[in-house]
Amino acid sequence: MNQVKLIGAFIRRRPLTWGFHALTLALGVAVLTAVLALNAGLSGRFQRDLGGIDLVVGAKGSPLQLIMSAVFQLDQPTGNIPLPVLQLLAGNRMVERAVPVSLGDNVGGFRIVGTTPQYGEIYDARLAAGRWWSGPMEAVIGAQVGRRLHYRVGDVFVGDHGLAPGGETHKDSPYRVVGVLKPTGAVIDRLVLTDTASVWKVHEHENLEHLEALNAGRPVDPHDVDKSPGGREVTAVLVKYRSAMGALMLPRFITGLPNLQAASPAVETAHLTTLLGTGAEVLRAFAVGLLALSALGFFVALYAAVSQRRRELALLRTLGARPSLLFALVTLEGLALGLTGGLAGIALGRGAAVFAAQAASRGGGPSLPLPPLGGVDLAILAGALALSLVAALAPGLVAYRTPPAAALKAG
Amino acid sequence: MLAVERLVAGYGRRPLARLARLDVGPGEAALLLGPSGSGKTTLLLAIAGMAEVIEGSVRIDGVDMAGLRGAARDRFRGRAIGFVFQDLHLIAGLSTLDNVLLAPFAAGVRQDRRRALALLAELGLEARAHRPAETLSRGEAQRAAIARAMLLEPKLILADEPTASLDDATCGRVAELLARAAAETGAALVVATHDLRLRERFEVSVFAEPVGLPEPAL
Repeated sequence: MNQVKLIGAFIRRRPLTWGFHALTLALGVAVLTAVLALNAGLSGRFQRDLGGIDLVVGAKGSPLQLIMSAVFQLDQPTGNIPLPVLQLLAGNRMVERAVPVSLGDNVGGFRIVGTTPQYGEIYDARLAAGRWWSGPMEAVIGAQVGRRLHYRVGDVFVGDHGLAPGGETHKDSPYRVVGVLKPTGAVIDRLVLTDTASVWKVHEHENLEHLEALNAGRPVDPHDVDKSPGGREVTAVLVKYRSAMGALMLPRFITGLPNLQAASPAVETAHLTTLLGTGAEVLRAFAVGLLALSALGFFVALYAAVSQRRRELALLRTLGARPSLLFALVTLEGLALGLTGGLAGIALGRGAAVFAAQAASRGGGPSLPLPPLGGVDLAILAGALALSLVAALAPGLVAYRTPPAAALKAG
Repeated sequence: MLAVERLVAGYGRRPLARLARLDVGPGEAALLLGPSGSGKTTLLLAIAGMAEVIEGSVRIDGVDMAGLRGAARDRFRGRAIGFVFQDLHLIAGLSTLDNVLLAPFAAGVRQDRRRALALLAELGLEARAHRPAETLSRGEAQRAAIARAMLLEPKLILADEPTASLDDATCGRVAELLARAAAETGAALVVATHDLRLRERFEVSVFAEPVGLPEPAL
């Protein structure tokens, strides 16, 4: 005869009731786990997309738009900048890395980005198959692109004009897939990377048309107004500083140049968070409310569970049980319930978060890399156990104050 | 062993029953008689320290129960008194053996499984030892509860209506069992009952007196 056996008997006698009590706790824990995991996934994705980018140099316009288009690949670009800007930045002593980004086309909704293989370094991207490109019209595709469009090394595809599906197809400029990347959880997963020269090549005739249109005074496709005819351009340059000196000097240097702006991803992301702040706060308040509600529900459930033990606790007292034994029993049952509900809740919440993350990225949207199970989940489990203890001890104390004879009769 | 004098027992200072005098020596047995509602159970619980002793005194093995409070009283009861409840209070979900072992478990003393099994065998429950308590018949459960009260060889065994709802033959056997157990271990035995069938088997009989009613003429 021991405590565990006795608790086992309590549970066996009303397994359904006990299961419901555990479920009440599990639901609360699940909500918290899921919200925290998704939240961490979201901010983790921001951080990952920012990678090692300290500064983005692009055409004048909204700095937020520049960051959104060139880093997160979500918005339209602010315009193009001349190629010499890239060479200027790459040659600067304060710059460790300057990676060009050229936008314009998409395939199946995934953006085709003209850049250099250094772009992969920003996100520590590794090849799952094939190689990096060695010339124009060769493409390396992100993991999500490969999965969704079923492209493999050796496949040939053509891009559509514009950044969303449905544009004019560049039939005469096919790309060949030469490499597929491993998943990174960052924006690179949803991109088709190619040489900067590929983008120039595909749009050569447009530049000519654009030039003719300008010369003839005909209306120009608004999408193309920012393309300066003839000249070689890139959309933006992603810069990583070599030293803190760069942060002080470079932005001012860029702003001094005509038609250029320098935007800090960190500043703009913080700005964005402030803009979205109200919505996120409402969501957080909602989650906290839900949590408080489930904590209360659990408290009530456990209170009821331990109240049902009054008779058994009274019997043990009539048999001479010390308070420490009764305390141990109540504590043990609270812990058992907390552990069962806590673990089930973490499994449930994690499952829900994984499901939500997958549903979010299924539509071609950004993937949501969830953090691995760890300290946060342990803290939640500890919280659930602490809550169980408090919830178990309160009715335990009430039970102990009832004279055993009365408690036995009440049962 | 047990000495009760001018006991008035009740709950929360409300007197419910009176017992003029009761002395039971080691190995002796006494019957606490009275009709339903006369306060037998209250008196028995007061002797065991589970109801209040409002007046008078209860001494068990020389210990004044009034001098013990709370946890100390619980502990003393666990070691010195075996109580057979009217409702038995076996815990469902535990085996018969574990229900018997609940006594040493609660009292915090060594759990002698072999002795518990021997005791169950003596009471004809060897085949039931590992069955869940809720599968026992009323008579079997009664014997299991007696085994639990006897296992630690208490100095005093108190039994509340142990023969209620038993047929004459079983009633006789249970009474004999209790008396023999008490005699063998040198315990004092008090059986509270309204069952007059038991009267011929016990030498000493006392009456519980409900408080507020005229004292019955003996």
